[in-house]
Amino acid sequence: MFEHLNPRSPIPLYEQIANRVRLAVASGELRPAAALPSVRQLATELRVNPATVVQAYRDLEGEGFVEMRQGAGTFVREVAPQARARERARQAAALVRELLAQAARLGVSRQELQAAVAEEIGVGAP
Amino acid sequence: MTNAIEIQRLCYRTGRTFEIKDLDLHVPQGAIYGFLGPNGCGKTTTIRLMLGLLRPLAGRMTLLGSAVPRDVASILARVGFVPEQPHLDPMLTVRETLAFHAAFYPTWDRPWAERLRVQFELPDGQLFGRLSKGQKGKLMMLVALAQRPELLVLDEPTDGLDPVVRRDVLSALLEYVSQRQATVFISSHLVHELERFCDWIGVMDDGRLIIEVPMERLKNGIKRLRIGGTPATPDNAPFVLLAREPANGTGETWLVREWEPHMATYFDGPGVSLHEVIDLDLEEGFVELLRSFRGPRA
Repeated sequence: MFEHLNPRSPIPLYEQIANRVRLAVASGELRPAAALPSVRQLATELRVNPATVVQAYRDLEGEGFVEMRQGAGTFVREVAPQARARERARQAAALVRELLAQAARLGVSRQELQAAVAEEIGVGAP
Repeated sequence: MTNAIEIQRLCYRTGRTFEIKDLDLHVPQGAIYGFLGPNGCGKTTTIRLMLGLLRPLAGRMTLLGSAVPRDVASILARVGFVPEQPHLDPMLTVRETLAFHAAFYPTWDRPWAERLRVQFELPDGQLFGRLSKGQKGKLMMLVALAQRPELLVLDEPTDGLDPVVRRDVLSALLEYVSQRQATVFISSHLVHELERFCDWIGVMDDGRLIIEVPMERLKNGIKRLRIGGTPATPDNAPFVLLAREPANGTGETWLVREWEPHMATYFDGPGVSLHEVIDLDLEEGFVELLRSFRGPRA
């Protein structure tokens, strides 16, 4: 689940881990009551600082995605469909922002980008 | 917050060529502190001084709250050390090595040592001197971990090991850290390896510590700026300018530290514009830091 973690990215690792869980909850990949790996398991497996995993789980708990039960572990909470839809919209917006930033760097214009998006999605296809 | 390692104005000299001068270093309790620097910059010497293996000319050092070298014997009982060179007796078998070390440490965790030995696939009856380089590296880490230390001092613990062994050794280290709030001081020149798990970074060059910061601040703050025009050298900029050089064509490339997004307004002046802010990863940041430290000072 966490195979796309990129330590070289300027996005902190705890944020990458939290984001991956948010996405999995929003998409239904992680069902309510599902157990997340323990801090020790995940830190060992990903070779990251245990504090990084703790911070990711705490952030997720603060946002209502998971519940940390003392001694038992960390579990996915029941998240309302509207909240999951909001999270997917947030992820979509982030993807687009990244795309726009990349396009600006490469000198691709807005029109060219829009045409490419329409083409790829299949809207303007003959 | 107390520091697990605290060094103030440490001085040391060997011969005429090498010197550690006024070194200050602070490792917060519970941190995983990455100690970076090119070969020969003084990392190993600093570690040897810190463990009382060399005598400083001047300076103050405390480890886990006690003074070095005065209390070094009691300190070392609480410190796990993996030196750069294999230090175990080549004529002892794996089993004998473990029994020998267990006798020194009241905190020795026998079941875990055995579990790690199996996990690391270390043959019980093999002489240390006959182990492969990777097996030696694993046994050295095992011995340091099984004593359940409060502080681990690791000098290039994965240097020269293959990727599979490196992964095993670091996983065991991180497993230990997640069980127990131990502090880790790890020196390496494998920068990308430290990027995954260190939360503090100290960079040494030429016997000096040139920077000591939380990892996120270093990583997020070091940027390369593409600038149109040639702004005046900043007097009171909110960031630290490490280097500037003309870019091809017009404009300049700046290398800065402590950058934050809102600082873009600094380049709003006439004839000057900020084209792009480029993220650097730790390795690039490290190389640029060294380059600017060694280059002519601005």
